Amino acid sequence: MAAMKKTNPSFLNGVPELLVLRLLAAREMYGYQIVEEIRTRTGEALAFGEGCIYPYLHYLEAEKQVSSRRREVEGRNRNYYKLTARGRKRLEALTTEWNRVTTGVALLMGVQHA
Amino acid sequence: MELGCPIAPTQRLIQEVADHREDLKQAALAEGLSGADAEARANAQLGDPLALAEELMAALRRSSWWGRHFVVTFCLLPLLAVPVLWFVLLLFQLSLVFTLGFGWDPKNLHAAAADPVAFRHLVIVIQCADSISIALATLLFCWLARRAAVNFKWMVTACTICSLYALFVQASIKPHTFEVGLSWTPQWIEAAIPLLIAGAIYLSRRRTMQRFLEKIAV
Repeated sequence: MAAMKKTNPSFLNGVPELLVLRLLAAREMYGYQIVEEIRTRTGEALAFGEGCIYPYLHYLEAEKQVSSRRREVEGRNRNYYKLTARGRKRLEALTTEWNRVTTGVALLMGVQHA
Repeated sequence: MELGCPIAPTQRLIQEVADHREDLKQAALAEGLSGADAEARANAQLGDPLALAEELMAALRRSSWWGRHFVVTFCLLPLLAVPVLWFVLLLFQLSLVFTLGFGWDPKNLHAAAADPVAFRHLVIVIQCADSISIALATLLFCWLARRAAVNFKWMVTACTICSLYALFVQASIKPHTFEVGLSWTPQWIEAAIPLLIAGAIYLSRRRTMQRFLEKIAV
């Protein structure tokens, strides 16, 4: 019980991290794109506060999970973020944890529905 | 920046939020909103700038040990850092003095204590170790405060602790005697060093902030 108390809140805090890292694993993106992708690909079930993505991206960059560069595309200069090797490892760990939790929850829900 | 946020990340955040605002505005225009309505919606979607700055500060704090444990870093570590730095500096300076002047034979050390000129050099070494270690420790904690993006008051706290330490902890040297410990005779000059450094950094930050705000206004 003590272990659950310690693990689950930190896992829930890791959900935004999982989403951002998952998106950046596919391609280099800028903040607006990330927010839009999260909104559309989760069927608007999840949404980042528009401006809040940037402090979060800066945090991930300080943790060396993502790197950024200024890049001009179609006449607009923007900061593009991409996943680093450390970010990829973190993504693997978070994905494993996510699968463990969702499997556990699905089993429990299945038992309750039965 | 009033919150103590470092300049470079703040500038970057402003740039990114401005880009984001432009994207939101373009999206609203594409939906058929007028220019004024599109801008108003973009601003509403972005939220409060102060809340964003606080988020940035929190994100920067979370990314370093110093920021996550700011009470330990800025209240307790100065008490350890000053004597450690002092000891390292003292050893360094003494090695220099003895290597250059007397060698490491204990007989030579006693000879140095008996010689007024050589003894004067030792006194200078001790005084320099005192002042330089206090200044270095203060600069170290000011740098950490900036790096960890903690509130300015934590930097002032660390400087005050360094100052109090310098005020009452004293190393004194007499011929054949070396003492380190608490003294009720205040060392005003050493104690002033951290406060002067904190004041200079505060003024420098104010000036940088003013320049930055002028630049944004332009």
